[in-house]
Amino acid sequence: MLFASCAPETCARRTCPPRPRPAGHPGSDMTAHSFALPVIIFTTFWGLIGIAGPWFVPKGPNRGVIITMLVATAVCCYLFWLIAILAQLNPLFGPQLKNETIWYVRFLWE
Amino acid sequence: MGSMFRGEEVALVQLFLPTAAAYTCVSQLGELGLVEFRDLNASVSAFQRRFVVDVRRCEELEKTFTFLQEEVRRAGLALPLPVGRLPAPPPRDLLRIQEETDRLAQELRDVRGNQQELRAQLHQLQLHEAVLGQSHGPPLAAAHTDGPSSERSPLLLPPGGPHQDLKVNFVAGAVEPHKAAALERLLWRACRGFLIASFQEMEQQLEDPVTGEPTRWMTFLISYWGEQIGQKIRKITACFHCHIFPFLEPEEARRGALQQLQQQSQELQEVLGETERFLSQVLGRVQQLLPAGQMQIRKMKAVYLALNQCSVSSTHKCLIAEAWCAVLDLPTLQQVLQDSSSEAGVSAVAHRIPCQDMPPTLIRTNRFTASFQGIVDAYGVGRYQEVNPAPYTIITFPFLFAVMFGDVGHGLLMFLFALAMVLAENRPAVKAAQNEIWQTFFGGRYLLLLMGLFSVYTGFIYNECFSRATTIFPSGWSVAAMANQSGWSDAYLARHSLLTLDPNISGVFLGPYPFGIDPVWSLATNHLSFLNSFKMKMSVILGVIHMAFGVILGVFNHVHFGQGHKLLLETLPELIFLLGLFGYLVFLVLYKWLCVKAADSASAPSILIHFINMFLFSSSPTNRPLYHAQEVVQYVLVVLALASVPVLLLGTPLYLLRRQRHLQRRPAGGQDEDKAKLMDSDACESGWGPDEKAGCSGDEKEAEQLIASEVFMHQAIHTIEFCLGCISNTASYLRLWALSLAHAQLSEVLWAMVMRVALSANLRVGVQAVVLVPVFAAFAVLTVAILLVMEGLSAFLHALRLHWVEFQNKFYSGTGYKLSPFTFAAEDE
Repeated sequence: MLFASCAPETCARRTCPPRPRPAGHPGSDMTAHSFALPVIIFTTFWGLIGIAGPWFVPKGPNRGVIITMLVATAVCCYLFWLIAILAQLNPLFGPQLKNETIWYVRFLWE
Repeated sequence: MGSMFRGEEVALVQLFLPTAAAYTCVSQLGELGLVEFRDLNASVSAFQRRFVVDVRRCEELEKTFTFLQEEVRRAGLALPLPVGRLPAPPPRDLLRIQEETDRLAQELRDVRGNQQELRAQLHQLQLHEAVLGQSHGPPLAAAHTDGPSSERSPLLLPPGGPHQDLKVNFVAGAVEPHKAAALERLLWRACRGFLIASFQEMEQQLEDPVTGEPTRWMTFLISYWGEQIGQKIRKITACFHCHIFPFLEPEEARRGALQQLQQQSQELQEVLGETERFLSQVLGRVQQLLPAGQMQIRKMKAVYLALNQCSVSSTHKCLIAEAWCAVLDLPTLQQVLQDSSSEAGVSAVAHRIPCQDMPPTLIRTNRFTASFQGIVDAYGVGRYQEVNPAPYTIITFPFLFAVMFGDVGHGLLMFLFALAMVLAENRPAVKAAQNEIWQTFFGGRYLLLLMGLFSVYTGFIYNECFSRATTIFPSGWSVAAMANQSGWSDAYLARHSLLTLDPNISGVFLGPYPFGIDPVWSLATNHLSFLNSFKMKMSVILGVIHMAFGVILGVFNHVHFGQGHKLLLETLPELIFLLGLFGYLVFLVLYKWLCVKAADSASAPSILIHFINMFLFSSSPTNRPLYHAQEVVQYVLVVLALASVPVLLLGTPLYLLRRQRHLQRRPAGGQDEDKAKLMDSDACESGWGPDEKAGCSGDEKEAEQLIASEVFMHQAIHTIEFCLGCISNTASYLRLWALSLAHAQLSEVLWAMVMRVALSANLRVGVQAVVLVPVFAAFAVLTVAILLVMEGLSAFLHALRLHWVEFQNKFYSGTGYKLSPFTFAAEDE
């Protein structure tokens, strides 16, 4: 969790010193989340488990079952993560916050 | 893949067992649990079978064993468990065991009888002692003070003169306490004051010899005069089952009698002690003999019952048995038969015969896969060599459970509980537990382990840990940017209690949260609007993929059973229908997620309206299309889907009927192989395996004839089930959304109403810490009871339903039966 360096009450009175803001993001100094990086990371991760993993399963009576388990796990978990991130890619509306929440999150999450 | 993909190959074998070695062979087979015997004497009643005498002897022995067991239990001793695995004893030992057991039983009966008698005698003596020992004032006083004749007190005026000369007599005895009042009343009414009775309770309790209950008897002393009164009194006391003892008037005589009685009772008690010592010795011998004997006789009886299922060969030299055996076990079977019959000279043989009926299904599992195979088998055991859904269920079942249960904290608790059970699974204390509910949980420990693990994963994706979100990565929504760019001054914020972040303003939305749902949504008041949309679409996507997977698994069945025509005439139309309609819905959802941006949010197309219009072939002017040629594509898809319905309905029946007509027109020479092929496909048409021909050899003629109406009816039912099922099953997957919403809300309410109240109460630090303890206890109990147990069971049930109905009705029939081999394993436990 990110913690503010000053308490909300003092900030509300605008006695906080102004902080340097990165260009291109007016009004905040939060960095943008990229979409490509998580996709690459997770696709590689689950791809390793689901596609490369089966080659390393030792021979034995349970080989078939273990391979099935690896592939099914990779497919299910990757799909679930993918749905979650795709649903948030292009939001059509934003969160509606209470004014109390805005007061402290405004400075807390910077 | 091993045998879990589909059941193992099972063959029907015919065993020839020489009569001398038959018992040993079957006993060895029982120890190994290889084969399942078929009953060849089904038409013969149990009393007419060959080995009925032996079975009866075993049963008699078992009766004696039960009697001995009961005696041991009555004495309060426990039977030790049998040590080691004892094989079934050879038939000649049966006589010896029977003699030993009968001897023990007889001894035990004699000793018990003696003990009962002695105790009854002792009881009598004790009663007599009590009667003589206790002093009954009034009657004796009456006897002493009132002389035989003249010194009568006026209270005892007799009705007539001559009675004054009668002597006072006594009746002494003991009566059960609950009858005493009635006895007294009856005596008074019947004898009208011609007697004086005194009832006194005994000082010590005596044990009733029959029931063993301690009771306090009442002793009585009745003094009366007159012979008739005496007779009346004796009749009354006899009616009340009282024990009457002779009462001697002189005190010294009584004392002498008392002493004698005491001596007698002492001797009797010594004898009783000896008897009981002997009894415990006999019981000790029983304890040694019984466990092993019971197990051996049980095995022997099982072997004879199995032998009863064999038929006798015409030469009466050997028994013929038919059994189902896994093909992989055939060499072991041969080996066992050879070893067991080596002494008999002629060795037993087994050879495979073609089978007429559907063989049983055998799927070998280990302790991990057993619970998953169990939940598939609870729906129905698969047909012979049908594709087994269990290996996929190992992962998809916990996954779908986790989608409905997603919470890191709850999942972690479930995982740890299951881990504890798994790590302790070899401890004898855990294995011996008798509680049924514990056994249920323990049997499903691997299931719970996976369910907990997946729940932790889905909990991270839903970003819920005991309903609290975590910011592992920084949130993708910047409140500061929104505030600064919209001029949200303090005054403005004070006036408006709810404000919405607008993704159109630059800098507000910084990109999707990399792993899961953004934590800002847990702070938002409209979080359900977003989550509902997300979860509903997620449910539909997962559902369509799960069902398509089920249809594809059906392909393996069609290929294996040689029904290639079904690939084109059933699987293809099914896939077109399912994917053309609901796969297209999934495509629409994905397209909208990827391509409709926040800038167009005011005019964002509604997928629901598009989907409805697709079926109605109409369009709404206010709903703009998602992509350029959408109407054309939708039109084509609906037409394709509708066209696939008649193919599904009529394709297979028409093909089969046409093939039958072709074969009937061909000359007789080429008919045999085609007949076989036709019968195979007929048999497959009605759903049997490849080895099987429809019915016995006599019915070949009828098997050729496909009854057209039946085939069409069967296919019509299948078509209707599939098409309507597609729609209803897709909707059914929405329970994934419903249950995850319920779990999240319950969890949220519990936090807000219980923990947050205690955490946000503005008390002094010390006091708040003390208050937190009971509040946390309540939170923990409610979490476990409501969220883990109740919600867990609920999600388990719904995930099971999704598997059993929505997934398995695409390819699984589940109308087979299991191979249950002849084994003594159940009795060894």
